[in-house]
Amino acid sequence: MVVKKSLFWAFVYAALVFMLFFNLIPFFWMTSSSLKSDYEVIDYPPTILPEKVTFGAYTRMWSQEQFFRYFINSIIVSSSTAFLSSLVGVFAAYGFSRFFFWGRTSLMTIFLASQMIPGVLLVGPYFKLLSYVELYDTLTGLILSQTTITLPFSIWMLKGYVDTVSDEIDQAAMVDGASRLRICLSIVLPNILPGLVATIIFAFLLSWGDLLWALCLISDQTKQTMTLGITQLVGQFRVQWSEIMAATVIVTIVPATLYLLLQRYLIKGFTEGAVKQ
Amino acid sequence: MRIRENHKGYFFIFPAFLFLVGILGFPAIAAVLQSFNLIWVKNPSFSTASYHRLLSDVEFLATLGNTVIFVGLVVGFHLIIGLGVALLLNLEIRSRHFFRVIAILPWTVPDVIGGLIWRFMFDTLPGMINAMLLQFAIISDPIDWLGHPKLAFGCLIFAETWRGYPFAMLILLAGLQAIPKEQYEAAEIDGASKFKSFIYITLPNLKYMVIIAAVLDTIWESRLFGMIYSMTGGGPGYSSQVLSLLTYKHYFLFFNTSYAGAIAVVLAIFMFTISIPYLVMTMKRE
Repeated sequence: MVVKKSLFWAFVYAALVFMLFFNLIPFFWMTSSSLKSDYEVIDYPPTILPEKVTFGAYTRMWSQEQFFRYFINSIIVSSSTAFLSSLVGVFAAYGFSRFFFWGRTSLMTIFLASQMIPGVLLVGPYFKLLSYVELYDTLTGLILSQTTITLPFSIWMLKGYVDTVSDEIDQAAMVDGASRLRICLSIVLPNILPGLVATIIFAFLLSWGDLLWALCLISDQTKQTMTLGITQLVGQFRVQWSEIMAATVIVTIVPATLYLLLQRYLIKGFTEGAVKQ
Repeated sequence: MRIRENHKGYFFIFPAFLFLVGILGFPAIAAVLQSFNLIWVKNPSFSTASYHRLLSDVEFLATLGNTVIFVGLVVGFHLIIGLGVALLLNLEIRSRHFFRVIAILPWTVPDVIGGLIWRFMFDTLPGMINAMLLQFAIISDPIDWLGHPKLAFGCLIFAETWRGYPFAMLILLAGLQAIPKEQYEAAEIDGASKFKSFIYITLPNLKYMVIIAAVLDTIWESRLFGMIYSMTGGGPGYSSQVLSLLTYKHYFLFFNTSYAGAIAVVLAIFMFTISIPYLVMTMKRE
């Protein structure tokens, strides 16, 4: 029995260590390659660790390739998208949670179902529409378009949180003469703060990782985002792997850090909001 | 009074509704109209030519097949690996927090970035995969992973399996943690083995979460674009191409806007069909 038990635990930890390697090897390879010189990175057979650690790829990337600009653009687009979809989302979530108006169920179904519209269906016509209103090739246009991806689930996630705040608090505040808008902003909002943070972060991450919309709606070099800039760096004939890996390290650090700092909220957000049981 | 109070709901919904109509509704309807040759052409007239063309387009049919295989396999792997890791993390293990953080890490990588990393990993000469396989003498010559049609498609599935499984794992872990401990204790008293408890307690309790994870993951994988674009570009040929990439090519590279619309409509129908059980289940819970 004891042998059987320790065998079981040996298997469990072996599996966990295997998972560790499976998950981390690409991160290791990316970081290691980004610290190699331009020549070493394409050596055959490849070196596992850089023979001589150099930050050349990082400095070249920042200076030559306008990556600082791309980085700022990505920050602007992702934060604005996250802010916009959460702001609009909070009101909608409150509306769906507290009021039983005509058409409520159908509207909620439509919002839920709109997540199933693939981006490629929208991006073509969206490109035409943006050209009409002269928002093609602007960050504003890109922000509005990314909200298409983030708004539906933001509403859905936030509604899960608003539902957890009892309506009795609202009723009590109304007796004291507070308006619904005020209640939503100054009573419900502070109570769902962890959930709100999770929603904002998730929207930020979705927007941060987007390629499709930026690829189709941005042509000006100075308005490109990180992800778009990196894919453009992958040349047809010669691929500067050390620079690309340096760029991927930077573009991965942001979401990974955000996630690590806020993982408790995020996991709670997924398990209580989006997939509440 | 009650009715008037409820009407206030419209004010709260209104901004979101505006967005929904403006940035989702308009383009979606425009895409459908476009696929029937009704707008943005010289002589608008109702025509199903684009849809007829789909049926005889070898590339489209192959791409449709690829999409079904890709989504099916990737979602399947995500659920299997996700469940395995979720079961491990649900045990009383040491440094649980540490393992949990590591377990979710791949999912924080944007898909287009994941595609680039794996493209380099699978690179024939300077790539790490071949180097490791040669080192352990599993192969004697470097393999051109991304240059071979079947292998490239397999590598793509492998890479997306790596990147996406933590999402399924998170949902299933939440499901596991919600199962009441008493059920296991009762089973133990009755002398049921661990395996039997798994079959008769864990799996039935997890059913709802498995469906949620499967449907949400199917939606994400069906619309996946960045990873395929950056890792294989759909190639070699169109061996690893999926519908989202084909739509993009027809719209933005070949300017076949109405044909691109038709392909996207097929993809949308595919996604809607799969998500019907999810929609019904979720709305019932409301």
